[in-house]
Amino acid sequence: MAKRKQAPAETAKRTEPVKLSSKDKKTLSSLVVMADRVVEAAHKAKPPAIDIPSRSLSNVRFNKAQKIIEMGGGKNKRELFNLSQAKSYMQTMLVGSGCKRLIDEGKTTSIRGLYYLLKHTIEGTKEETFNDQAECDPVIEDVEVALDALREELHLYAQTKGAMVGPIEITDSGDEIDCSRMGSGGYAIPSIVEPERIQFRKHAAKFVLHVEKDTVWQRFNEDKFWKKHHCILTHGGGQPPRGVRRLLNRLHYELKLPVYCLLDNDPWGYYIYSVIKQGSINLAFESRRMAIPEAKYVGLRSKDYERCGLSSSVKIRLNDTDKKRAKQIASYPWFEHKKEWQKEIQQMISNDFKLEVESLISKDISYVTEVYVPQRLQDRDFLD
Amino acid sequence: MSGEREEAPASGRRATAESMAAQQRSISVSEFFTKNRHLLGFDNPRKALLTTVKEAVDNSLDACEEAGIVPEIWVQITPTNNSRFKVAIQDNGPGIVKKQVPLIFGKLLYGSKFHRLRMSRGQQGIGISAAGMYGQLTTGKPIKIVSKTHKTKPAHYFEIHINTKTNSPDILNGKGEGEDIPPGDKGQAYCQKNEIEWINDYPLENPEDKPQPIASGTRVTIELEGQHKRGKGSVDEFLEQTAIANPHVTIHYWDPEGQSRTWRRATRTLPPEPKEIKPHPYGVELGRLMTMIKEQPTSTTLSAFLTENFSRVSAGVARKICETAKLSTRSTLKKIAQSDVDKLFQAIQETKIAAPATDCLVPIGEPLLLQGLYQVVPGEFFTVASRPPAVYRGNPFLIEVGLAYGGTVSTKKVNKEELVALLNETDARTVKQFLVSTFDGLGPDGADKIISASGIGTRQNPSKLKRTEVEELFTAMQDVSVSETQQMQLYRYANRVPLQFKMGDCLVTKTASSLNWRSYGLSQSRGALPNGPLTLMVHVASVWVPFTSESKEAIASYDEIEKEIRLAVQTVGRRLSAFLRLRSNIRQEGERRNIFLRYLGEVAAAVSDINGFNRGQLYEELLAVAQKKTREADTKLDKHGKRVTDEAELNSDNVLIVETPLLAGEGLSTGGVATGKGQVHDTEAVRSLKKKGAPRAPRTKREKTKRTKR
Ligand SMILES: Nc1ncnc2c1ncn2[C@@H]1O[C@H](COP(=O)(O)OP(=O)(O)O)[C@@H](O)[C@H]1O
Ligand SMILES: [Mg+2]
Repeated sequence: MAKRKQAPAETAKRTEPVKLSSKDKKTLSSLVVMADRVVEAAHKAKPPAIDIPSRSLSNVRFNKAQKIIEMGGGKNKRELFNLSQAKSYMQTMLVGSGCKRLIDEGKTTSIRGLYYLLKHTIEGTKEETFNDQAECDPVIEDVEVALDALREELHLYAQTKGAMVGPIEITDSGDEIDCSRMGSGGYAIPSIVEPERIQFRKHAAKFVLHVEKDTVWQRFNEDKFWKKHHCILTHGGGQPPRGVRRLLNRLHYELKLPVYCLLDNDPWGYYIYSVIKQGSINLAFESRRMAIPEAKYVGLRSKDYERCGLSSSVKIRLNDTDKKRAKQIASYPWFEHKKEWQKEIQQMISNDFKLEVESLISKDISYVTEVYVPQRLQDRDFLD
Repeated sequence: MSGEREEAPASGRRATAESMAAQQRSISVSEFFTKNRHLLGFDNPRKALLTTVKEAVDNSLDACEEAGIVPEIWVQITPTNNSRFKVAIQDNGPGIVKKQVPLIFGKLLYGSKFHRLRMSRGQQGIGISAAGMYGQLTTGKPIKIVSKTHKTKPAHYFEIHINTKTNSPDILNGKGEGEDIPPGDKGQAYCQKNEIEWINDYPLENPEDKPQPIASGTRVTIELEGQHKRGKGSVDEFLEQTAIANPHVTIHYWDPEGQSRTWRRATRTLPPEPKEIKPHPYGVELGRLMTMIKEQPTSTTLSAFLTENFSRVSAGVARKICETAKLSTRSTLKKIAQSDVDKLFQAIQETKIAAPATDCLVPIGEPLLLQGLYQVVPGEFFTVASRPPAVYRGNPFLIEVGLAYGGTVSTKKVNKEELVALLNETDARTVKQFLVSTFDGLGPDGADKIISASGIGTRQNPSKLKRTEVEELFTAMQDVSVSETQQMQLYRYANRVPLQFKMGDCLVTKTASSLNWRSYGLSQSRGALPNGPLTLMVHVASVWVPFTSESKEAIASYDEIEKEIRLAVQTVGRRLSAFLRLRSNIRQEGERRNIFLRYLGEVAAAVSDINGFNRGQLYEELLAVAQKKTREADTKLDKHGKRVTDEAELNSDNVLIVETPLLAGEGLSTGGVATGKGQVHDTEAVRSLKKKGAPRAPRTKREKTKRTKR
């Protein structure tokens, strides 16, 4: 049947079987339940189907008390014998079998690795099981929600993206790391940062400053901002991956550190703030572990062009998607009733331009680290 | 219109021609010709070439049919210098007796069909001598005729100049007498020596066969100033359309580029000979009635005049007409005054007169039309419908339509060398213009699609394309699917003769465009012909086809004719939509099975990897579910009743469905299922379509190439 590399003999040459953690056992059993349902249906001559909790905007709700986005109870049925779902059904089962193999072998891989593990030509056709990674990623998320398993429980991690420096010492997989001695690159935040893997040992930080991009982060690191202001400095390479968000969440809740976000004055920056603060729509099931409702926005403001006296050459015109996104964000239930935010977004639209954090460099290379952020922090001039 | 009507009746016609000739005595024939070029079909070099071929081919077909010979026609066009062509048309007809030849070819307006009121091709042309005249005026070369009336008797050969002063023939060869060509081998030698062209034998089906001599026939050669271009209004198009409407003819064509093509007959049965009829009273206009009265001996009684000159007028009917007109049946024509003619005319309109006999009409007939269409137009679905005879203004007429769907678009029919030649000969100024005017039915949207896929600019001059650009254009023409944007091709015919010009003015075009094709599952912009790989042919057969103008290229609007065209086209439209529905159902079923089956192997393997269940067993079980699922879907369609009625609609003799890979369940081409057990089983529908595809006419060139392609 399908060409697949059965666990190759060389690597499977193990003297003792892999020891399964209790989490692994739990994940395995839910994988087996998923597979058994297929067999059951086939026995009864019924078309097999799997329920997948819906990860769309219509199936999330904003928990006002907890101020986080939660996933609703909506589910989508995915059927093998449905023309438009047959392929994704097959892919779901493939991802399941891939995870089972990883757990069996006691290994973890990146989502890209899993994609390559599962990608092959369907026998007798010219069709690939997955055409590209973009086709695989959402199926992985589907399996996560369908099995109610976390990504790391499936032995998967996302590409690492994001870095941290500051007065904190941690243990990562048994290694002791002092984040104040990480040179110019910083500590690369891994994708799995659960307490089993990373423990906080001691710290002297008063807050966390999370910046959007590594270019800005490097400015702050070079200017030793974190030393002067006793803070932990992180970035997430744009939209922060789950590892970064989870780490921020742990720093906030376990070490009681306030989190300030330095983001661009554009819809994308607003959205990043929204994700850090109350979770993402796509991964609403993870909000409880990730969201930081107390996080504050110290990013660029629509009024900064005038307030900071910037030159007109730093303006970037809004395009149509920007405007559409801005309106969409303004209408999110968690922004809807925030007057400050509504004003902010309105002003950006009427400005008809956006501003990046880097634009402050036009005033002075270190304006952002020496003047802008310190002043904002001192004035407690945040958006919430 | 009135001009045409005046020419109509059998007896009066010759007099009219003569009076015309009398009037023209003062001006020379050549002057008359030059003045009326546009009416005669010689208004530009391209059309002149077509008209010449058309006149000769029409004559050949008429002569063969009249003589009861299954027609075979050879058309050879050779360039003699860049704007001159030698056009030769030979047939296997009865030939022409020696003394008639000079008159037929050397005297303008000397015809035989011109006077008769019956369904004939000759109604359209002005005559072959006009083509000879045009050739003579533009090149100075004589018209050359070889005619053979009997296998064992000598053939005659004439080179004729038309004397433009006297409108009479001057024979140039054989001391003014023409030459005789002996029969048999001697004749062949004679022809060779004197450079007389004549094809002796029919082409061989097999190289081993014994050559079959052509017993009789006529060959006309005219050298003329012309222009050769393919596409709309071309010789190619005319011959192709002629082959559709005349399934009993075989045409061999050598085009000016030296390429040859043959349209083979689909039948050896000749159409029955049309009968001549007298005019029906309803069809006669006042002016015509007056002329008719004047032409009769003045002693004729009114009753005799009416009963003898019109069809469907018995003594009783004549009496009724006279009563209404308050005239005596016995009064002689001498006594009929102008005002009486008015009354008579009025009375005719008010009297109930039986519709004319319609046995004078010779339809192509559904079975032959179907074969003709199938033979010539590539496609996967063919259907024809013919309406019972009807009458407009006292003239019997009859509508036949044929529709072909599918097949390759004309842009895919050319090879690269042909494309290069076409690009060189075009006078279009942009590539888009070139594509639209060269490829039938492509339309501007299709052209845009091709151009954007090729990556060359729209405004490019077609003759200045670089080699690589031509290359890209060619690839795009092959790759781009234009069947959706492609416009329906409409073939119009009057008495089996294709109408190639004035498309927009024609009642056929107007009627076909006014129908709602969307309800048949096609796309159509408002008031236009529908889109898709479609060919619609509409044949108007009548003893008197009403044209919009003297050039006889578009059919005039009459409610009765429009109604019949509409009904016939709707019939084929409904069948097409049944076919399209059925086809899309089958395609969907195929896809459904296909997709279901395609992933079963993967699913079974993945599940087995997770829980260790036997992979083979699970696969078999899933397969069974898949088959049950598709069966359910199939029966659901049955319950809707759609499938059933569609099949009934398609299950008739006037529908022909060619077995296509799709219908043969080839949906699995991308591979099918690993085990091979999941092969698609034919549904009733697929089986019946395959069956329908079976009655294909054998022996066609097209089919042979199709087979080898598969
Ligand atoms: N190829 C031919 N074979 C036999 N007879 C012919 C042929 N071409 C012309 N004729 C005769 O010559 C007549 C005159 O032809 P033409 O000038 O084309 O006028 P029309 O076709 O209108 O009668 C025809 O009616 C026919 O009798
Ligand atoms: Mg003629």
